[in-house]
Amino acid sequence: MNCKLLTYVLSVCALLFSSACTSDPIFKKNETVYKIGDQKEWASRDWNDQNWQKRPKLAPDGKVFWSRTKLDLLEAPDSLRPYGIRLEVYGEYEVYWDGLLIGRNGNPGQEAILPPEGEQWATFMIPAHLTEVGEHTLALRISLHHFPDHTGIYELEIDYLDDLLTERLVQTAFMYIFAGAFLIVSFYFLFLFLSNKKEYPMLIFSICCFLVFALVLIVFSKDYVPMHYSLHVIRLQTISSLLLGIAFLIPFYFSMQFPFPWRKSLLIVYAGVLLIIFLIKEHAFDFKAFNMVLSLWVFSFGIVVYGVYTHTRGARLVLVTLLLSMAVYLATSFTISLYVGLGLILLGMLYLLSLNIKAQRLAYENSLVQSTRLRMELLKKNIQPHFLMNTLTSLIDWVEEAPKKGVLFIEALAREFDLINQMENQTLIPIAQEIALCRSHLEIMQYRKEMCYSWEEEGIDPEQKIPPGIFHTLLENGITHSLPLENNSIRFSLIYKSFDDYKCYTFLTFAAGVRPGSSNKKEGTGIKYIKARLTESYDSNWDFISEPTDQGWRSIIKIYS
Amino acid sequence: MNILIVEDELRIAKRIERMTQEILGDSLQSLNHVDALPDALEFIRNNPLDLLLLDLNLNGEKGFDLLASAVSGSFHTIIISAYKDQAIHAFEYGVLDFVPKPFNRDRLEQAFNRVITKGKPEDNQIKVLAIKKRGRIQLIPIEHLIYVKGAGPYTELFITDGTKELHDKSLEKLEQLLAHSFERIHKSYLVKMSEVKEIIVKSGSKYMAELKSGELLPIGRTKYKDLKAKWV
Repeated sequence: MNCKLLTYVLSVCALLFSSACTSDPIFKKNETVYKIGDQKEWASRDWNDQNWQKRPKLAPDGKVFWSRTKLDLLEAPDSLRPYGIRLEVYGEYEVYWDGLLIGRNGNPGQEAILPPEGEQWATFMIPAHLTEVGEHTLALRISLHHFPDHTGIYELEIDYLDDLLTERLVQTAFMYIFAGAFLIVSFYFLFLFLSNKKEYPMLIFSICCFLVFALVLIVFSKDYVPMHYSLHVIRLQTISSLLLGIAFLIPFYFSMQFPFPWRKSLLIVYAGVLLIIFLIKEHAFDFKAFNMVLSLWVFSFGIVVYGVYTHTRGARLVLVTLLLSMAVYLATSFTISLYVGLGLILLGMLYLLSLNIKAQRLAYENSLVQSTRLRMELLKKNIQPHFLMNTLTSLIDWVEEAPKKGVLFIEALAREFDLINQMENQTLIPIAQEIALCRSHLEIMQYRKEMCYSWEEEGIDPEQKIPPGIFHTLLENGITHSLPLENNSIRFSLIYKSFDDYKCYTFLTFAAGVRPGSSNKKEGTGIKYIKARLTESYDSNWDFISEPTDQGWRSIIKIYS
Repeated sequence: MNILIVEDELRIAKRIERMTQEILGDSLQSLNHVDALPDALEFIRNNPLDLLLLDLNLNGEKGFDLLASAVSGSFHTIIISAYKDQAIHAFEYGVLDFVPKPFNRDRLEQAFNRVITKGKPEDNQIKVLAIKKRGRIQLIPIEHLIYVKGAGPYTELFITDGTKELHDKSLEKLEQLLAHSFERIHKSYLVKMSEVKEIIVKSGSKYMAELKSGELLPIGRTKYKDLKAKWV
């Protein structure tokens, strides 16, 4: 199964990798130059811009400035398919191509008086007659009222107009399918968590999936949501916050699956590092994103390597996904590796959850089998040949020799069967019921062994519950393995004490000692039954001590609250 | 007859005792009861015994340890047990009878009759003979046994590998246990019939059985007729 998953992951990576490789460019961009001021002539193709400056650090407050970029078109377009130009530029601007106004994005120079207009990303058609092979000039008349330090052209692309318009939508569609998968997984695991509130890894995984979904949703919303450049910072802040959440939660999840020493302190330190990255350099969003994701990878890698070192289940496959995501980063760009890597890591996390679910199912099935087995064992006590046939043989003898006593014997036997039937399908019964069972058992044994058995109890709280058959089992052991006192009797005593943090039952057998060979035997089925019953009802919150004493035998059961 | 009852349930032990006395009457020489394995072994070592009545489950201990050493003794063993499923196993060891609990007087009497009339066990599935060797019990598979020779109160077992072992039971008792595949061809010999190659008649009405190994064993004159009627 691991192998299949791995092949699948690899083929997805290969696909993404090949789609990332672009075809030959159809244009070459030369250096962009700027000049503050406003002259219509600056748009013209042949204007001498030798003395224009490089990108200014700050644009004059709300005033118009120009940029000119020489471009070489390497290929002429097919006829009837015009070229288009796509720009990401901060500000409101007009676009001139070889001196001709081909588009307007807002109202340059009038931002202070007019309401915001235009988009951060805009596509314009280049007239067909101005797209011959050779040098062309792109001139922009810009004003930058809101973020004067964001001068410059952030993205410039020339291609067939229809391709420019559809390509990104197609890419967005695919990314949304990718994100949609995580949305569904997120809901699925949220519901699983709600049905079992102890499963925090499921909740964390659900949140991680949702954050990745939201991240993709917002990153790719730019292609269809018109956004004024002044609002772009909000988008970037949202993306950074989502990355902060993802960068903390993924290693946190791994720390739950692969526990390591000083987990809490290391997580606090890690959260501190993330917060520092998040808070320094207010507008350096690329810096923040890269460093947060790098920290995520490094910290997760450390945890998973520790998991592999301690041979924790599933750690190896998760390590492979982490290494793969790093390989994707080294082979492609940060943007591609971010989504591929997150996808891979989430798959790894999902794999761990599936292992957990499988382990839980097995444990549950085991507990069912164990419960049934214990139930059978309790039922078997009274039908196993040694008890039943010996009892019946004695009974026949009593009926033949002393019919009245035989009737009393039958009544005691009926009582014991009745009590066993009542408690047969319970995991906990009132202590009073268990004591009644012990008393009826002693009565039966008295008829069989013709010995004087007596029962005492001390401090019993009849409201207390205990697993069925445990004192009955101790009683059976006491009868079987004890030598009677001189007056042919054996005395049993059950003492209950309640303390602040535990309850204690002491079961004492007063006899002339243990039959030779009984005490050095390995754990018998009776003791196994008692321990399994205690585990079934109290997990590991119990103690069982069984030891010989001067006067016979002592068993102590402690149940911790 | 000297009988030992090994039973940890007092009421049942009393029942067996009472019925034994009723059934055997005057032929009973001694009747004893112990309720634990160590006591039983001690008793067997120090007292003459003809019959052991044994419960297989004593105070939580399996009686098979005692069974192996009991069947190697000179006396017969009858099991009285609640575990019917152990009957086959017990017969394989060479017990004379297996009385399942709960039992009545008739069933017990039937078991005693086998001892008294030298009857053969119905479910004869004996697979091993237990022998005492250097203080330990060794089990010899019946399939490895060729013939048994009487030696006073004891017997000698002749085994396929050419060795012979001493057994505490008399030839009569072994004849009873091995009845399904062995024949008493002589007052001193009990032979597995599948090992006999042919019967040779010698001068003077002397008969010999030639075994597959080439060994010749004498056949008693009276036994010859029975053999002829049964096998030829």
